[in-house]
Amino acid sequence: MLNITNILMLLFFVLVFPGALFTSAVGLWLAGVDRKVVARMQHRIGPPIRQPLYDFLKLLGKETIIPHAANKTVYLGAPIVGFISLAMIMLFIPIMGFTAVSGSADLIVILYLITIPGVALIVGGSSSGSPYAGIGISREMVTMMAYELPFVLVLLAVARKVGGGALVFSMQDIAAWQAANGSLLFHWSMIPAALAMLLVVPAEVGTQPFDVAEAETEICEGPLVEYSGAPLGLFKLNTAMKMFVMSGLFTALFLGGLGTGIVALDALIFVLICTLVVILCISTIHAVTARLKIEHLFKFYWTFVAGLALLSLILVWCGL
Amino acid sequence: MIQHFPVMAVMLLFLGAFLVAIFGRISPFIRDGIAILTATISLILIYALIKPVMIDGQIISYWMGNWEPVEGYAIGIGYEVDALGLFFGLLVVTTFWLSGIYSLGYLKKDANKMHYYTLYLMLSASVLGLVLTGDLFNMFIMIEIMTFASVALTAFRNKQDIALEAAFKYLVLGSIGSSMTLAGVALIYRVCHTLNMAQISSIIGGQFNLTTIMAFGLIVSGLCVKSYIVPFHTPAADAYTAAPTSISMIFSGMVNKAGVYGIIRMVYVVFRAMDRSSLQTLLVVFGAVTMFVGVTMALAQHDFKRLLAFHSISQIGYVITAIGLGTALGLNAGLFHAMNHTLFKGLLFLTAGAVLTATGTTNLDKLGGLSKKMPVTTVCFLVGAFSISGLPPFNGFASKWMVYQAIYEKASSSGNFLFAAATITALIVSVMTLASFIKVTQAVFFGQVNPEHSEVSEVPFIMQLPMVIMALLCVATGLFYNKVQEFLLAPAAKAALSVTNYIDRMMGEGYAESAGVADILWQPASFSFWNPLVWLVLFVVIFLAVYIAIATGRKNRGAILENGGAYDPKYATFFSGEQEEFSQVGGSDLFWGFKTDWKGYYKVMQGLHSGIVTDYASYIVMAAAVIILVMFICMR
Repeated sequence: MLNITNILMLLFFVLVFPGALFTSAVGLWLAGVDRKVVARMQHRIGPPIRQPLYDFLKLLGKETIIPHAANKTVYLGAPIVGFISLAMIMLFIPIMGFTAVSGSADLIVILYLITIPGVALIVGGSSSGSPYAGIGISREMVTMMAYELPFVLVLLAVARKVGGGALVFSMQDIAAWQAANGSLLFHWSMIPAALAMLLVVPAEVGTQPFDVAEAETEICEGPLVEYSGAPLGLFKLNTAMKMFVMSGLFTALFLGGLGTGIVALDALIFVLICTLVVILCISTIHAVTARLKIEHLFKFYWTFVAGLALLSLILVWCGL
Repeated sequence: MIQHFPVMAVMLLFLGAFLVAIFGRISPFIRDGIAILTATISLILIYALIKPVMIDGQIISYWMGNWEPVEGYAIGIGYEVDALGLFFGLLVVTTFWLSGIYSLGYLKKDANKMHYYTLYLMLSASVLGLVLTGDLFNMFIMIEIMTFASVALTAFRNKQDIALEAAFKYLVLGSIGSSMTLAGVALIYRVCHTLNMAQISSIIGGQFNLTTIMAFGLIVSGLCVKSYIVPFHTPAADAYTAAPTSISMIFSGMVNKAGVYGIIRMVYVVFRAMDRSSLQTLLVVFGAVTMFVGVTMALAQHDFKRLLAFHSISQIGYVITAIGLGTALGLNAGLFHAMNHTLFKGLLFLTAGAVLTATGTTNLDKLGGLSKKMPVTTVCFLVGAFSISGLPPFNGFASKWMVYQAIYEKASSSGNFLFAAATITALIVSVMTLASFIKVTQAVFFGQVNPEHSEVSEVPFIMQLPMVIMALLCVATGLFYNKVQEFLLAPAAKAALSVTNYIDRMMGEGYAESAGVADILWQPASFSFWNPLVWLVLFVVIFLAVYIAIATGRKNRGAILENGGAYDPKYATFFSGEQEEFSQVGGSDLFWGFKTDWKGYYKVMQGLHSGIVTDYASYIVMAAAVIILVMFICMR
């Protein structure tokens, strides 16, 4: 298995498409679209769509300050860990018909890989030694616990729906099943799960009203308070990439199996659907709501959102 | 030759215990030497069995004093080492050997080290004997020695207020467990007229009458006390906290594994009851409750070691859930998680011990910022914390992944929603585990240094060594899980399912067949999902490239360098306009939002964990009653 061609292919997948380069490019595009749409909804003109890219490039050129209290290695390493794992997750998510790494995509692997960027943010923030970061990471962790329950329920509902009596956790089988039986969004018993997933996306990305961890007004961006320069730029990039990864996961789970067979065209359709998902579940909610308190956020996810997902799971369990 | 190894390993440790007690006074060198030497020889003897037992598939039997079965009845004590016993034997020897090495550095300031080493060897010998023996009464004896050695070691640092209280609780509650086991063994002897497990298995033959159900229930309840399944878990928290950390590691690495081993041996081999769906449901429910209660209690703790103690309880819940499924994949997953729990929890206890040695406290509200003072400990802790939280590519991920697959497969094939609920619980508990280790990371290793601890330095090499070995094992078993599966887990799981071989080896060829014993079918579990090694290599390469690019970028070089010498507020952390003031966010302040939402739950839990021994004893008796009642209703 480990010959030169395979290694080169893998490197290409990780570094270019659908890994680091592609994911960052689309992520920054989505972040730009989000800012623009929110601005239009609030009757502002808004920044140009390439603004997040400019911001990122600007931060790369700025001075990096490491506080006395910080642990240097962890402080600098954390954003990189988040960046690489986000680039790698994209390899496991089928882009319509195309999967970079065949046979290895698995819902539970993805579930765990998606927690790594969050953990990177937490550990990085924690290592910076600021009390604001301490409060920020605590909130980030509680947010994580909050959306994890509905997220797990959604994944299990999908696995049960696709598998029937058997066990299917493989993303490829899910894509194949949807190609044969129609996308999961159009099966009525899965609609509550799709709604729940749409609400999980903004919490995972950390946009308003679920940005309690970064709350600029109270705790000065929480985990990021001490960050500057290139590491800060990477963290901002990570947030943008998360938008793509999460909306991509939604697309793969609920709108999969629509591919044309041509990779470039598939990727284009995929990005367009992701853009719609982002506008729907990130920008719209952002534009019309104010930030929640952490305990309200937790309650919201464990009752309302988890309830939706559980409803789907029970319906699917009853064979609907 | 090889058949003498198991019994020699156990006898040597007992012998070592007496030698330490007799000659330990002469000099510290002789005392430590005897302890480490016997532990090492015992380790080598058990490791030498890997080839014949695990790879060639032999079962080693040994009749003490050559008392072979007379007229078809096994009278003498027999040792029988199959792959299942050896699997736990390997965990036991690895744990006590590393703990012994660690003790050399850890016990620097303690008096009465002779007592410590005597009890340490007693405890090691008893647990090793427990997992290798083929005799039910011998197993009970080993449980008794194990309990009393544990009690004494819990009280070892009796200058702490908590030590004697913890030992007392352990003594009372542990004795209740032992008594239940003894009562069960007595009933079995009444029915079967033998105490050899292989023979009991063929006589009972998976068919139950009232007496055998009673015996089964009592033995399983007794073993539940030893493996700290909720609600039998109450002595664990205090005992783990009060005992010296090297012993806490032994408690979580082998003493509660001994209980788990006993349960597996009973339900799969001796009573062969795992095909009953009622027993499966019972174990899965107990397992799910255990992991949930364990982790939520851990989230509320303020003490490093007590937090780890509750995590031990929680992780055993995973193991019990997995083995309770009664499927080959489930048993496989349970064994894997048991092994990983030994590794990462041992590692975490060792780091807690290092923190205690360096700073003199394990209170999460008083520590902070140790990562710069104790880099090795910090790295080891992070490896352990990521392993127990199940982040890829560490070992916890591989085994938890197997556990989820096993439970959800069982849920799908049996259509039982209870199992699906157990899957959800397992996945949620995993993220809560992560949360509580984030809390420790923030409260102990990152954040700001408490001014009291400004002179703290890294622990000596002799204490770092076991930590590093354990951390490497955590990474290695995560990366090469296929090899672990092939050489350790598959033989062990297969051995637990092929009861015929177990009986025949002990009682003579064809004995099982004549008694009408049939095996549960072994299906090799298939894993094809990913190759962590390639990903890790890729990850490390890219990480280093980017890290070097950032850390040495021309524009930031000046700023990256630590600002030694002249004071520059640019590099200070600020809090409300005040700089350089000690303002650490401590352990109990984290997760306030979570605890607020769970107020009601924590109030109930606090009430239940009252610290009163009579309450705890009543939980044990009630839970045992429930187990026995369920068995009576469903298994006749």
